Amino acid sequence: MIPGALLAIAAVATGASLLSAGRAPRAWLALLLTGQAAALGAAGWVLAGGPEWEWQGGLAIGGEAVQLRLDAVSAWFLALVAVVGGAGAVYAREYWSPEAHPVSAGSGRVWWSLLLATMVLLLLCSNGLHFLMAWEGFALAAFFLITLDGQGREVREAGWLYLAASHAGTLLLIAFFSVLAARTGSWELGPMRDQPGLAWLYWLALGGFGVKAGLFPLHMWLPSAHANAPSHVSAILSGVAIKMGIYGLVRFGGWLPVPVEAGWLVLGLGVVSAVLGVAFALGQHDLKRLLAYHSVENIGIILIALGLALVAYARGQMAWGELALAGGLLHVWNHGLFKALLFLGAGAVLHATGTREMSRLGGLWRAMPWTAALFAVGAVAIAGLPPLNGFVSEWLVYLGLFDALNPPAAALPALPAIVCLATTGALALACFVKVCGVGFLGAPRTEAARRAHECGPWMRGPMLVLAAACAAIGLAPAGCWPALRSVVGSWGAAWRDLPAPESLGTLGVVHTGLVLLAVGGAIGLRRRLRGRWRRGVTWDCGYAAPTARMQYTAGSFAGILTEWFGWILRPARHEERPEALFPGRAALAEHTPETVLEKVVVPVARWVLRVATLARRLQHGRVQAYLFYVILGLAALAALVLATGP
Amino acid sequence: MTLTLTSLADLLARLALWAIVAPLLPGLINRVKAWVAGRRGPPVLQLYYDLGKLWRKGVVVSTLASPGFFIGPVVTWVALLGAAALVPLGPLGATLSFRGDVILLVYLLALARFATAWAAWETGSAFEGMGAAREVSYAVLAEAAIITAVLTLSVHSGSLSLAALLAPTPGAGAALLAAGWFIVLLAENCRVPFDDPNTHLELTMIHEAMVLDHSGPLLAVVLHGAALKLMLFAMLLVQAVVPLGDLSASVAGAVLWVGVLGVAVGVGLVESLLARYAFRRVPLLLTTAFLFCWFALMLAWKGGVA
Repeated sequence: MIPGALLAIAAVATGASLLSAGRAPRAWLALLLTGQAAALGAAGWVLAGGPEWEWQGGLAIGGEAVQLRLDAVSAWFLALVAVVGGAGAVYAREYWSPEAHPVSAGSGRVWWSLLLATMVLLLLCSNGLHFLMAWEGFALAAFFLITLDGQGREVREAGWLYLAASHAGTLLLIAFFSVLAARTGSWELGPMRDQPGLAWLYWLALGGFGVKAGLFPLHMWLPSAHANAPSHVSAILSGVAIKMGIYGLVRFGGWLPVPVEAGWLVLGLGVVSAVLGVAFALGQHDLKRLLAYHSVENIGIILIALGLALVAYARGQMAWGELALAGGLLHVWNHGLFKALLFLGAGAVLHATGTREMSRLGGLWRAMPWTAALFAVGAVAIAGLPPLNGFVSEWLVYLGLFDALNPPAAALPALPAIVCLATTGALALACFVKVCGVGFLGAPRTEAARRAHECGPWMRGPMLVLAAACAAIGLAPAGCWPALRSVVGSWGAAWRDLPAPESLGTLGVVHTGLVLLAVGGAIGLRRRLRGRWRRGVTWDCGYAAPTARMQYTAGSFAGILTEWFGWILRPARHEERPEALFPGRAALAEHTPETVLEKVVVPVARWVLRVATLARRLQHGRVQAYLFYVILGLAALAALVLATGP
Repeated sequence: MTLTLTSLADLLARLALWAIVAPLLPGLINRVKAWVAGRRGPPVLQLYYDLGKLWRKGVVVSTLASPGFFIGPVVTWVALLGAAALVPLGPLGATLSFRGDVILLVYLLALARFATAWAAWETGSAFEGMGAAREVSYAVLAEAAIITAVLTLSVHSGSLSLAALLAPTPGAGAALLAAGWFIVLLAENCRVPFDDPNTHLELTMIHEAMVLDHSGPLLAVVLHGAALKLMLFAMLLVQAVVPLGDLSASVAGAVLWVGVLGVAVGVGLVESLLARYAFRRVPLLLTTAFLFCWFALMLAWKGGVA
């Protein structure tokens, strides 16, 4: 009852926010936050162990009665939508302010409300047809948000690419839901594990939801869309919207009888996404593009966990499956939190300096201490380092993978998965050292970076909240367990009442101990250094006057690693070497393209277009020729009937 | 795990032991190098004197450095000390032992690396940036080798806590594992043939290059952390390879410490007999270490399943 009432409040508030979006930004924000708080409350109620909420409306849309359901799986994702949606809305008040963007600020608010509403709807729908409608609405709202700043060519291109890719995925989903409805005789969705004939449908779902989730190699729309969207939009796209794809895969992984091979394939795709996602990220020089590639990496980690859970469920191995699934689901949340934090931080940098190009930044900590510190928290979290939340979820995934090696049902593919997961962690660390170092530390490389300014409280507040959430999950991971238990229990009926790994509490204690020790150490060192330190020019083995241009660059920092991955990154390099005794101009530029898009998708699309152009010659408007086609067709049919007839 | 007063006291005693004993190893390595070269060499306790001296000195900090420059070494040190607290001490076992602690150990090492590389960026020096780039890049291969070694032990023992991982008699792959882990030890602790800890400048291209601008107490914290890391790797190597569980407690304890000293002597001998490799060969050597660990894993897998 209570979740129903809260969701009704959320619906009313969001609807009202739509009406006030155009004229009254303050009322919009208040209503939207009320709506999100109510939705969060409803989700929290179900996650805390409350009963599932179901509602059947009288009205029918498309001939199907509206049917909503909030179970723990939906609630888990719903809560993430509410938190990041609320944080992004507050952030946008300053970042995409009506003063700076008189035209698009209003429409941005409208689409923001619609995006949140459609995402919540698709999480609640338990009817395939309505799910598709919500899915399409959500994809369109995201498109209008990406292209909010419709001036730039890059933005428009990114928007179209997103729309095309998204619709390719939707086509697969239409096929998926229609076949499902045809086979089961109803659009209603629910557990159907007892129908082994439906197993193959998961492949369709994997394609359709995989495009949205951005798994490698279906991710080619993701980097440009996330990089070119306004930063609060990037935050919700990367933190939440791509999780809708994961929601689909998790949801139907739990409802369909998924074969073991599909589980292994999901795990394999996860490994590939994780390693190559971070490899591509290393090659990027654009701050937001780099963060976008890290979404591919983290989706990979989530898929590793999901794939293992699917295999475990198919084999009846509760012990490791539940750990992996819990880890993967927690990573959904964690990635949502720290990636939103990082994108908001990147937005603050963009706002202050006007550039996303890392080689034009540097030394920002002086002007933007809050942003630098909060970005650092996000960086430590995304690199999966203790004591923050990224480590907790990766740790759970590791536990699941290691348990999968135990003799009775030893799963050999878990071996390379573990090694790749560790490698991914080390690569992500390298990448985020690079981002933080080039962007925030050292000396400003340009005038713009020197003149940067700290963002205001409306932008800082949401970042603080997200960073605090990252720290809280890291320091008290056992607190998430009851919620995770209800999600895992509602996902697979056989996995109810899973026991908490007792070491999760210990991990929290150790994390807290480490933080205390570090704080103590820092205070001790501070006491020691009081009055004993002075500033001087960077020594660097005796440079008298180092300049900002002598600093190490992002490209050189990642050079060793991008060289190892040169076979797939294919960096384009333009160089003018210094020649002759008195060399004149010299230049070096390096750029890592989106290999899958430029080497695979674009050539294939060109080829399709060429074939299509040839086919167009058949259509020229001459009636005689059309009659000739009809006669040819009839003759072919007649020949066919005569040849195969009785 | 219940955190009682006794276990807390035990934990503190262990941390003190690690902190006090660790600086002995670099001194020992230097002594071995001097002996091979026919020199008298610095005293074994030289690092203690150095640490004491540095602790009393003042600090010059780059004009560009943020507070992160001070926090970096502290985080590194705390992470390494925390990792050391997880390592069981032979017959004494571990106070802080839980399922999955080995993964925490691996990631604490990564946290230390992050903090050091962060502090290296603080100064805006190209040299330190270069050192940080090499550190984080080669660590990718080293981490793959480390996790493979952990996998080997885990498959062999069917467990995931350090105390149980290191307890059983090592399997057939022990020699392979030892070789792989020793190479990783050399790489992660910046010893020859990966790096040359003798000087600050041209010869020392990875780790010491990152801390060029640290001085006084900050440098003392960095150096002490490096000593902790060396002892941690040596401790793990000995326990992974020598069947301490089959010996009586006192003998096992003696064997453990003799083993750690033996590793230090081994590092000193390698350092005396080899020159630093060219950088393009570093990835090859680390890949070799990974393959050693991988073959050990395959042996353990065969043994485990059959």
